[in-house]
Amino acid sequence: MESLKIAFFCWESLYSERVGGLASAATHLAETLARDHEVHFFTRGDHDRVIKDVNYHCCQPEGKNIVDYCRSMSMSMVERFRDYDIPRFDVLHFHDWHVVEALHLLRERPNVLSFHSTEFGRNGGNFGDWWEFREISTKEWYAGLIAQKILAVSHSLKNEIGWLYQIPQEKVEVIPNGAIPEEYRAHIDAGEVKHRYGIHPLTPLVFFCGRMVFQKGPDLVVDAIPAIIQKHWDVQFIFAGEGHMRRWLTDRSQSLPAQFLGWIPDSEYVRLLNASDIVVIPSRNEPFGLVLLEAWSAEKCVVAADVGGLAENIENFRDGVKVYPTPESVAWGITYVLNERSKISSLGKEGRKKIDRLFKWDSIAKNVVAAYRSVMA
Amino acid sequence: MSRVCFGFEVHQPFRLDHQFDPEAGRRNKNLREVYFTAKNRDLLERVVQKCYVPATEIVLENLDQGFCCSFSLSGTLIEQLEAWGKDALDLFQQVASHHNTELLAQTYYHSLASLFTEKGEFEEQIRQHMHLMQDTFGVTPRVFENTEFIFNTTVASVAKKLGFAGVYAEGVERVLGWRSPNYLYSCQGIKVLMRNYRLSDDIAFRFSNRQWEHYPLTADTFASWLAATPGDCIHLFMDYETFGEHHWHESGIMEFLRWLPHEIALKDTQCILPSQALEQDPRDELNIAETISWADQEKDASAWLGNCQQLAAFREVERAGRLVRDREVWRYLQASDHFHYMASKSGSCEEVHSYFRQEGPFKSFADYMRVLSDFEERSASLARMRGAVLGLRCLPPEKAFHFFSAYGYTGYSAYSLDDFAMQLEVVPKDSLQFHVERGDFVRWVADVIGDHHLAESLKKYHLPHELFDAVDKRRKYLWNRLK
Repeated sequence: MESLKIAFFCWESLYSERVGGLASAATHLAETLARDHEVHFFTRGDHDRVIKDVNYHCCQPEGKNIVDYCRSMSMSMVERFRDYDIPRFDVLHFHDWHVVEALHLLRERPNVLSFHSTEFGRNGGNFGDWWEFREISTKEWYAGLIAQKILAVSHSLKNEIGWLYQIPQEKVEVIPNGAIPEEYRAHIDAGEVKHRYGIHPLTPLVFFCGRMVFQKGPDLVVDAIPAIIQKHWDVQFIFAGEGHMRRWLTDRSQSLPAQFLGWIPDSEYVRLLNASDIVVIPSRNEPFGLVLLEAWSAEKCVVAADVGGLAENIENFRDGVKVYPTPESVAWGITYVLNERSKISSLGKEGRKKIDRLFKWDSIAKNVVAAYRSVMA
Repeated sequence: MSRVCFGFEVHQPFRLDHQFDPEAGRRNKNLREVYFTAKNRDLLERVVQKCYVPATEIVLENLDQGFCCSFSLSGTLIEQLEAWGKDALDLFQQVASHHNTELLAQTYYHSLASLFTEKGEFEEQIRQHMHLMQDTFGVTPRVFENTEFIFNTTVASVAKKLGFAGVYAEGVERVLGWRSPNYLYSCQGIKVLMRNYRLSDDIAFRFSNRQWEHYPLTADTFASWLAATPGDCIHLFMDYETFGEHHWHESGIMEFLRWLPHEIALKDTQCILPSQALEQDPRDELNIAETISWADQEKDASAWLGNCQQLAAFREVERAGRLVRDREVWRYLQASDHFHYMASKSGSCEEVHSYFRQEGPFKSFADYMRVLSDFEERSASLARMRGAVLGLRCLPPEKAFHFFSAYGYTGYSAYSLDDFAMQLEVVPKDSLQFHVERGDFVRWVADVIGDHHLAESLKKYHLPHELFDAVDKRRKYLWNRLK
């Protein structure tokens, strides 16, 4: 198959400005594509460089607010793009609304737009009445209108942009995020890690990791604990992550076997992930749910809310247990797997197999290239 | 009329010496003596006396009365029999020359070479085994049985390429779907014989289990099960050591073996050989992209490559192919058994693993790496590019780089320069920062690996991808020097 010349437009990467999950998704996709194709990554940063065969071209935008800032970024990106457009790029891949002006200027060229989330979703599934919300939503609508092909990370995101922005279903293809399972599977002594937190090595540990915000549902787990310890007196809970709910939750769980760690470095996250017995993902809204792939990579049993990307990717009782986002249901799910300890490892192992089968970047990049070819034809 | 086809895998590895000490063994130039335990002889003599001789005598009697079966004998077993078990070898030779038996091909070293990225080594070991069968028994096998039934489309393609008429695979539900294992299938254009693992395991695992509802199993009962099983042919395949070693004489297994062929004949069931089973047309084409095997509940490669340490050891032994001279010792080290001893599983699979190994999984891993590392170091002293071999050699756990953070061990370790480059990409970034600030990478590369050139250049870098680039460039350079 012939090699393509591909341009990425994305406001963050792992090596320059890193904001959220978009940085890792876009960078890993670019690196995987770069094994067979020529990839140029237009992003923010202070100097150009080549890392793992991806050519990073940086710009330093300015602006008083996020909308102006992103417009300035898009303009600089297009300028930089023109410097490298000989020979011409075969396909242009835009990520999220930040680069909509670049998409507008280059809309005649074969292009693909990825939606990683929507402004509505980031706002917890609510509409906002402030000007940035309206401005960003309009940009998302316009990007969806002019893009030749749209990629969404899950079917629920595809539906969301369908009804939010009237984007026809046939224009949107669902391509999930990938994972590098080796980054999350570590060979550690679970007993030693538990011991550090004052937990007996044989005590089952339930682990929550995510922002302490309403969307991620840590309160559902806290409220589920009393019912769980009635059946299993020895279960322990660890919550990692920052957010405005942390204080309130810490107070609320005074007499419960729960610890709130706040922000933890990646290495401690991987240690806890591998030392825990159950990973709980009680989100109320989740376009994709990267933590699911991370837990599966570590062969962990997940108890997750039946919403969004989590609902789509988990096969109930085969590679995880799905629950409603309510404390009663979360308690039921955790008790269910604790009752059948042998399930704990088999659910996790099945999850890991699913990662190897469906969520490796290699196979995802193949689908992305197929989408590229559909707009080039 | 039902048809049944018996097959026995017969194998003994060269087990490592758990007391191996690189310093003490330094002067001894005979690597076989240094690395492999003298107990191999005792173990072989025990299994010859408990299983190979008595079981084969029974089989020989039965063969004369119309019983048929196939044998898959590993090359390392034949070597050990030639040295320490001539009686058993004679019996196997009588069996091999009997018209009611068939010898199967496998890898000479009963190795995991089929899972290597490069398939050349795998093919080479099958050819070696074919020569051995020709030299020792005057037979050219037509059917292939890979180590522990490891199978996937690649194994099928290699077997086809080497001209086999058929290949054995485990009758795993997840690849068979609604199909029965008791029919002939094909994969990549080669015919596949599917093992009926339920019936095979009734003999191999459950026979002496007192909790089993069918205990004690009699030849009569088992033969009636076979007769009642639908299908073209039931393939029963098991370790030959089942008879007398896994199940002791006292369990009645020998009497079971003695009377089973008789009972089978009484139940109007016919015994056939694998080649006869292959005469039919395949019922369906199977696509088996994932690796399957007969091991454990998972029936995949996880018995040998299920944990990080097994994977690390496996990567290192594959790489060693380009560093070492003595191909034979290298191939002994590829035997699946070494990796089986390193498994860390729980439940009933754990019982099987601990039955086979002498020591705990970590000890097995550490011993293995100590031997492999010493083997590569010794090869370096004979190599033209001594520095390159030393720079690329693998290291035992006490010399490996273990990544830490302020909280403790992260769960990642690097056992060679190649491994180090790989880990730099996946280890959490804060752990890399932790070591960069302490200067640990520079010290490890200089003092343990002994690569002062790389150590110097690592001093200049702080960011993860810069460290990776420097290490990656260096390891590629060293590999190039070896070409």
